[in-house]
Amino acid sequence: MTVLAWRAAILLGAIIAWEAVARPLNPVLYIAPSRLPAALVRMLNVRDLPPLPGHLWLTVTEIVAAYALALAAGLWLGFLLGLRRTLGRIYEPLLAALYAVPSVVWYPSLMLFFGLGPASKVAFGVLLGVFPIVLSVLAGIRQVPQHLVTVAVSMGAGPAVVFRKVMLPAMASTMVGGLRAGLALSVVGVLVGEILGARAGLGYVINYAYGLLMTEEYGVLVMLVAATVLAIDGAGALVEARVKRWAG
Amino acid sequence: MLTEAAAQIALQGVGKRYETASGAVAAVEAVSFAVRSREFVTLLGPSGCGKSTLLGIIGGLVRPAAGRVLIDGEPVVGPNPRKVALVFQDAGLFPWRTALDNVGFGLELQGVAAGRRREIALGLLEPMGLRGFEAKYPRELSGGMRQRVAIARALALETPILLMDEPFGALDEQTRLLMGEWLVGIRGRTPKTVVFVTHSLQEAIALSDRIVVMTARPGRVKDVIDVPAPYPRDLNAAALADLRAKLWDQVREESLKAMGGRW
Repeated sequence: MTVLAWRAAILLGAIIAWEAVARPLNPVLYIAPSRLPAALVRMLNVRDLPPLPGHLWLTVTEIVAAYALALAAGLWLGFLLGLRRTLGRIYEPLLAALYAVPSVVWYPSLMLFFGLGPASKVAFGVLLGVFPIVLSVLAGIRQVPQHLVTVAVSMGAGPAVVFRKVMLPAMASTMVGGLRAGLALSVVGVLVGEILGARAGLGYVINYAYGLLMTEEYGVLVMLVAATVLAIDGAGALVEARVKRWAG
Repeated sequence: MLTEAAAQIALQGVGKRYETASGAVAAVEAVSFAVRSREFVTLLGPSGCGKSTLLGIIGGLVRPAAGRVLIDGEPVVGPNPRKVALVFQDAGLFPWRTALDNVGFGLELQGVAAGRRREIALGLLEPMGLRGFEAKYPRELSGGMRQRVAIARALALETPILLMDEPFGALDEQTRLLMGEWLVGIRGRTPKTVVFVTHSLQEAIALSDRIVVMTARPGRVKDVIDVPAPYPRDLNAAALADLRAKLWDQVREESLKAMGGRW
């Protein structure tokens, strides 16, 4: 409880400091937090844009789709490369090399392949999110203690039982960290995609507000993104804590 | 020598080689011996003599390159949890399972219902001094407790044969002696055929009906020695002290070979 109280105090202090610094400066460049609520109201009533909740909803939908695909592809690829040793030895260095390339350089291609709409944002979210997932599955598989597998085999466990009752639980705490990192990166992918080129979504509205020098509206949008990401990551943290408690 | 018809476990010319970067290494070679039902046989030898490999072969975890193992006259082709249970040096408990669920693991694989598993596991943990610890996770237990849980997990399978690979090797001397006494106690209650691997003379003499002394790598049978004393044993008794001296001579010779004569 005291930790929460401290956090609240720090947050409050930061807002007050921010207000104190921003208030005497040029309001077009520096946004004072006290002006954000009014900006939010204005933003909700902007006439030349579809309503804000629609953008928020689109962005969240894109994130969910991107993460679901990244999860499916990442788990499949990770187990494929991790359990088939030869395949793993062939592809792992390639994967690591690909991971080292700043992913944003692929985005123009994705827009060419998938267009300006949501598909290219989802694709970029998948591209970013899939790497930590694959890598965490590979790390998790390497981490399974061989002697636990031997114990299970000595008691008559076949490959499927070993996978379910030994490998998955032994990998769980390593894997959830990577799955959560994948979620964070899927979020980044979708938002960056929207900012770089889109016709709707939170990132697009951010770009719009910024382009028209509507700094206060821009500030509101950043807060909105922060709240969304915090909510998503908070859900991820809850799942992670639960899995870790289970897997010891 | 024991006739094979009377043997529960029979090893016939068993050999195993491992491929390493510098060529094939023979771990064990032409090992033959037999174990009677309810007999406690210890494999004793210097480290690296292939004792564990041999146990793995008997347990069906390692495929021999030569020879074969018969259990009740049937050749071993893989793990057989209805007849053979194994205990390893590392307790090998599943960290995500409680003591109770660890003990019940093998039964779970055999499709035994949860209620019955619990009953069997509690029945095993209690006489092991683990009452009240059934809901603890392995990380909350001491080394000796963990090893007892691992032994309970093996006993839960109710197999006629128990293979133990240096089960007390990771424990301190006092705990190790107490665990030995405790194992003698269990054998009194539920007779089992036990093949036990150790490099401790003391442990071998305290526990075994017979001791199979192995040579340095490649492991072969150097000698088979009967220990005709009743349990529980007083290791300071004259006969056992003589036996210990004799065993030490043999093991010392092989250990020196294993070290290439230099030390």
